[in-house]
This record gives sequence, structure tokens and C-alpha cells, in this order.
Amino acid sequence: MATRNRTTVYRKHRDACKSARAPLSDSFGGPVIEMVSGSFARSNHSSYAPLSTNDPGPSSSDDAFTIGLPPAWVDDSEEITFNIQKVRDKMGELAKAHSKALMPTFGDNRGDQRVVEMLTHEITDLLRKSEKRLHNLSTRGGPSQESNLRKNVQRSLATDLQSLSMELRRKQSTYLKRLQQQKEGQDGVDLEFNMNGKMSRLDEDEELGGMTVKLKEGQHVSAEREREIQQVLGSVNDLAQIMKDLSALVIDQGTIVDRIDYNIQNVSSSVEEGYKQLQKAERTQREGAMVKCATILLILCLIMIVLLILKNVLF
Amino acid sequence: MVLVTSVRDYINRMLHDISGMKVLILDSETVSNVSIVYSQSELLQKEVFLVEMIDSISVSKESMSHLKAVYFVRPTSDNIQKLRYQLANPRFGEHHLFFSNLLKDTQIHILADSDEHEAVQQVQEFYADFVAGDPYHFTLNMPSNHLYMLPAVVDPSGLQRYSDRVVDGIAALFLALKRRPVIRYQRTSDTAKRIAQETAKLMYQHESGLFDFRRTESSPLLLVIDRRDDPVTPLLNQWTYQAMVHELIGLQDNKVDLRAIASLPKDQQEVVLSSEQDAFFKSNMYENFGDIGMNIKRMVDDFQQVAKSNQNIQTVEDMARFVDNYPEYKKMQGNVSKHVTLVTEMSKLVEARKLMLVSQTEQDLACNGGQGAAYEAVTDLLNNESVSDIDRLRLVMLYALRYEKENPVQLMQLFNKLASRSPKYKPGLVQFLLKQAGVEKRTGDLFGNRDLMNIARNMARGLKGVENVYTQHQPLLFQTMESITRGRLRDVDYPFVGDHFQQGRPQEVVIFMVGGTTYEESRSVALQNATNSGIRFILGGTAVLNSKRFLLDLEEAQRIARSGSHMV
Repeated sequence: MATRNRTTVYRKHRDACKSARAPLSDSFGGPVIEMVSGSFARSNHSSYAPLSTNDPGPSSSDDAFTIGLPPAWVDDSEEITFNIQKVRDKMGELAKAHSKALMPTFGDNRGDQRVVEMLTHEITDLLRKSEKRLHNLSTRGGPSQESNLRKNVQRSLATDLQSLSMELRRKQSTYLKRLQQQKEGQDGVDLEFNMNGKMSRLDEDEELGGMTVKLKEGQHVSAEREREIQQVLGSVNDLAQIMKDLSALVIDQGTIVDRIDYNIQNVSSSVEEGYKQLQKAERTQREGAMVKCATILLILCLIMIVLLILKNVLF
Repeated sequence: MVLVTSVRDYINRMLHDISGMKVLILDSETVSNVSIVYSQSELLQKEVFLVEMIDSISVSKESMSHLKAVYFVRPTSDNIQKLRYQLANPRFGEHHLFFSNLLKDTQIHILADSDEHEAVQQVQEFYADFVAGDPYHFTLNMPSNHLYMLPAVVDPSGLQRYSDRVVDGIAALFLALKRRPVIRYQRTSDTAKRIAQETAKLMYQHESGLFDFRRTESSPLLLVIDRRDDPVTPLLNQWTYQAMVHELIGLQDNKVDLRAIASLPKDQQEVVLSSEQDAFFKSNMYENFGDIGMNIKRMVDDFQQVAKSNQNIQTVEDMARFVDNYPEYKKMQGNVSKHVTLVTEMSKLVEARKLMLVSQTEQDLACNGGQGAAYEAVTDLLNNESVSDIDRLRLVMLYALRYEKENPVQLMQLFNKLASRSPKYKPGLVQFLLKQAGVEKRTGDLFGNRDLMNIARNMARGLKGVENVYTQHQPLLFQTMESITRGRLRDVDYPFVGDHFQQGRPQEVVIFMVGGTTYEESRSVALQNATNSGIRFILGGTAVLNSKRFLLDLEEAQRIARSGSHMV
């Protein structure tokens, strides 16, 4: 696909125009324009360097031509993006921890399971926190470009969060399944081992005692497994809740809502609606009974003052 | 895939290099170009969080300097003025200007002059100046489409603008494909000749450097033809899915607006029919109505199976699986209801307007002979009360186009009957059509009764019988494509521009129809491409017509022609 870059021609003209204008506008706004041209001259001519939108803080307000501080909600969205990145990293760790916990070991692998639990808990926490923050991005006030912008940022972050939660759920469900398989297998193995062990014992009492002890141990292990499974299920339910909330925000792909022109039309029509509502509100406020009372009272006060003055003057 | 991919590539390149939060600013034409190939969610992934029109941006006063503005507009003088105003008071942190076609030097001067704050980072030309609805079909969505029917003396500046827009669109297409074609045009059409010559001048003289691409073994062919050579296709009623939706309801930029047809729940009032995003539509868009019905029934059955299994939730695992599959389930549900709604509404319209009856006669008029029988059939339908005005008009037009010279008495009788039956009929419209597209004006063998080969073919077809009475019509374009494939496109009828010459057969052919294309023709092109004959066809036009639009253009042209003749 062919393209043509007209930037060099454009810049040449712009510089020519500027130099033609420069001798005329000497004193007016001189330092501002110079700082502008200075900052732009520093950027590379063959490509453009994206200017930073993150201002360090109030000290930058001294700069005559700043890019401008982004509004407060951008902090929210940046934090959510940061959280999303953290979640992605932790998911990688979780995958490793899952595989480690599922490996058949001789000792009990409670340590590994605790790591899995902790990681899952952290990730779910991060997701929940991000989701709460996401609601901060919801707009209040009338429709405007700014609110449209916020809504779109919200949507994009919601989509990311939802896909991450789904990934987590999938990982958890596979882990759960493998865990259950292992539990059944292990119990089976335990009992078999017990059966075999029984044969070698001569003393029946000892046998029985041994067997009950073994059974109790087996029960204890399976109870523990049950507990773990319940915990994982609990976090699965948490995630389901988060997903339900998020799905309200996410766009369905392929539908009319996913069309750019549909969204533009709707914005313009909702802006018109908003404008009409504002006009109506203004009108009702102006005709409000309160306003009428206030004006009447004010008029009466003025009349009284005038009468007072007249009384003093005449007497 | 070609057309859609090129536009997507352009948009990807635009957005790729610019990091951070962006706002995309479009004008009323580029919004169609972009919306039809790129979805809102994809834009969000590219960090474009706001999309605005260049008109409304001028009005708003909010300053958003934390955003970078990406402008994608046509280089019209109107847009340049609006850009000037915005550059004088820049609201965004950065401004990246992308134009969908060639910029004139004067326009660059004007912009550079107003850019006092040096807000503009780059100025580029990205040639995505056409609406790529389907992989091999594009349109230019031109509003005053009727101008091609009028002689140049009536509205010279209007026709010049029309011709310029077409040339720009064709040039952008070839720049996107990185090809420079050999150009042929239809001899009998002045507008086609003019457009072909101006395109040749642009590609080979004014901007020959830009179009100087690597030569392939055979140059592609650009064939510029006129709608009036085949006035029958836009008048016919359609029975294949995409064409039918456009004919009965209306398809604009792959969107269907059902609000005027029936009262529907909010999420079904406007739907998207895009072969890229909807797999069911992709496999059914060229199927006829009966087959579509069966396929939809199968889809509904499949969906009901899934829905039933979803209701059968007993264990936690089932619940988990349901939540996992929920997004896909929702998407499937939306898709099923969309197609069911469309087919239901269309069935209702077919029933109400008795289109099965009408269309049978239409197809007979278009494909088979027999003047006497045709006259009887048309008269019967004109007398039938439930046939709507527009259908009556179409029948008479089709009859007139076919039997223009045979039995003028009966033709006159039909005109009178039409005028008496349809109160809103603008008198003389059929005669106007005959003047524009009558047998003397046409190049191609529209009814297959000029060329001996065609007559023989028609007789054979008549004897063999057709599979489906309602889809027996083949647009004239099909014959044109066959001639090109066989290398037998006659120089007499379709001469080359200037001293262009084509060796052998072209491997890529772009057919541009001045006056508009129809979805029946785009179906023909798609099916031809699927046969892998070694030639790839691309079809484009100034608009996508259905019978309503075609009749509107005719009426508009007639009105202007009448008022013009009064002035003379």
C-alpha cells in the first residue's frame, strides 16, 4: 500500500511562513513562541518524538507552554493499567506454582499449596480492587467529549480485566480438576497400600489398629483436600461475580454497538438530548416558585426602605 | 480480502506509531471508510479513546491537551478550512494529519500558514478513500449520483466535481493496490470516457512519479462502464440474502436500519451484516431465500440445543462451564435473533407486496422471450390491486426496455394504464429511461438477442429449464467478465484510452460502474473469483443501488433535464 509523506514539504513552508512573520511580531508573546519553537526544534526531524503527557507536578506550571496536566481520572486509569500488568506477571507465577503443587511428591506439599492459595488470593484482590477503581471512572454530569473519553477508557480496561479474570478461572478450573483426580487416585493408592500392608502383619489387633490409623490418616488427607477444593471454589465464585459486573461494561463484538459510526451518532443525539434537558431545567428553575417568592420579597423590602427614607425625610 | 485488508492496514499504520491516549477525528465520508472495516473495540485496543467528527470539534471548546489527535479526512477545501481554524487554536497535545487522497500544494501552504503554534507533527497521504464493504466490492457512496445521466452542458461544474470524486476514488484504489492499470472505457458513454481519460492523465502525467510501481508481467485493467448499459439489474427484485436485504430494507455501510419496518426490541433495531464479522452471513450471503430459511432453521436448532444444556445446571462444574462459555453464548444468541428477525421481516414484505408473483413476471421479462405473453402478464399485474406502485412502475419499465420496438400500440396502452393506476407516478419517467438506456444507447447485448451465440444460448437454456425461476437472471456484467476472461472484449465497444495497449489477458481487473453497482453484480463477481480462473475481478461504483435508489436517480435527472430544457 502506497503512502506519501508530506511532512518535510509542510515543515519547509511552515518555517518559511514563520520567518516571514517573525520580524513583524517581535515583542508580542515573544518568549512564549520562542520556547515553543525551541522545544519543537529539539525533536527529531525525520520522525516525531511523542511528547510526554506525564507532568512531574506543580513545578511544571512555571513552564510557559506545557502539555497540560491530565485530569485526575487519568491517575485512576493508569493505576488500573499498572494493576493489570501486575496481574499478568502474577498469573505467570501462578501457572508455575500450580504445576509444582500438582507434582506427586513424597512429603506433603502443603507449602506449595499455600503458595498457590496466596497467589490466587493476591490476584483476586488486585482484580477486585481494579474493578472498584473502574467504577470511579464512571461519569457524572452531562454528556461531553470528556465523558465519552472516560467511558471508552473504562470500556477498554473492562475488556482487559474481563479477559484476565476468565483466564484465571480457566487456570483454576483445570487445577481443580487435576487436584480432584489426584485425590481420588491417592486415596485409591492409599487403600491398596493398606490392603497389601495388612497381609504382612501377623497380629490382628495390631493390624486393626494399624488399619484404623491408616484409615484415619487417609481420611485426614482427603478432608484436607476437600477443604482446599472448597477454597478454590470460593475464589471461583468471587471471580464469577467480578465477571458479571464487568460484562455490563464490555462491548459485544460484531454488534451494532461495536460500530464507530453508530457511537458517533449516539453521542451527538445524546448531546442534543442533554442540551434540551438543560434548557428545560433552566426554564423550570427560572419559573420556579422559590424564585418568584424571592423576587417579591426583594421588591417589598425595597419599597419598605423607600418608605422609611421618605418618613425620615418628611419628618 | 484485498480491499478490506488494505484499508485496515492503512488505519493500523496510522495508529501504530503514536503512543498514548489518542483521539481520532474523521469527516462525514471517512467515517464510513473506517467504520466498515474497523470496530470500536479494536480502536480501544489501540488506545483511541475518543472518536469525533471534524465538524463538531470546531464547535467544542474543551481543551484536551493530554490527548494526541489523529486526523483522517478527505483533502477537500471545506476540511482544510476547518483544520486551519483548529490549528490556530490547538486543543490537543499533538496533531497528526492523514489525508485520504492527494493534497494540492496550495492546500499544504494554507495549512502551514495557519500553524502558528507548530502543533502539527506530521502530514501524510494514506489512500483509503473508498468504502470497502466486501472483499471485492467497493463503493464511493456519492450523494448526487444522478449527474452521470445528464449531458455536460446542463451542469458543467457539478459534473466536474462528480468526475473528480470518481477519479480520486479510483486513484486511491490503485495506490492502495500499488498498481498502475491499462484503461478502457465504454464507447457509448460520455461520462465514462471523460472519467477514463482524466484518470489516465492523473496516473500517467500529473502524478506519474507516484504511480510508478514495479511492473508485473501483465498490467491490470481498469474498465470504466456506465450503469445505463444494464438498466435491468437494478430494477429486478432480488432473492439472494445480501441483495435481498438491500432491495427490501436497505443496507448502508453494512448496516441495516429496521426502525422504519417494524417495532422491534432495542438491540434489534439496527444490525450489522458484515461478511468479515459474521460467519453465518459469510456462508449465506449469496444463497437464495429458500436455502437461507433452511440454514437459519438449522442454526436455531443448534442454538436451542446449547440453550437447553445451559439450563441443565446441576453441579458446580456445570456452573463454572456456563460462566466460561457465557460470552460466546450471548454472541450466538444475538446472531441468531438478528438473522431470524431479518428473514421474518423480509418474508412479511414478500407476502404483503406479492413479490413472488411480481418477480416471476420480472424474471420472464428479463430472461425469456414472447412479447404477447409478456404483455398479458404485465397487464394482469397492473390490474392487480395488491401490487404496489413501485412494482407496477418496475414491470412497465422492464417491459419497455425489452419490447421497446415491438408493438408500440401495446406499449402506449401500458403507459396509460400505469399513469391511471399510480397517482404518484411522475409522467414520462419510463420514456426518460428509454431515452437514457434504450436499445440505441446500449453497447452490450442486454437481452441476449443480438448476438447469434447468445440467442443460441438462450434457446438452449429455455429448453433445459432453470433450477430456480427467481434467480435465473444473470447481470450483463457476467458476460463482460466472461469476455475479458477469454480475451474477447471488443475494442470497438470498449476502446483503450490514448495509446494504451494490453498484451494477453490481464490478471487483475477493476471494473468501475459509473452510476452505481448492485449486490447482484457483486455476487456475480465474487462467484466468478471463486472459480479461480486466473483473473481476479474487483467491482466498484459510485453508489450501491437498489430499485428505489435507481428510480430516485432517474427522477432527479428527469427533473433537472426538464427544468434545463425550459431554460433553453
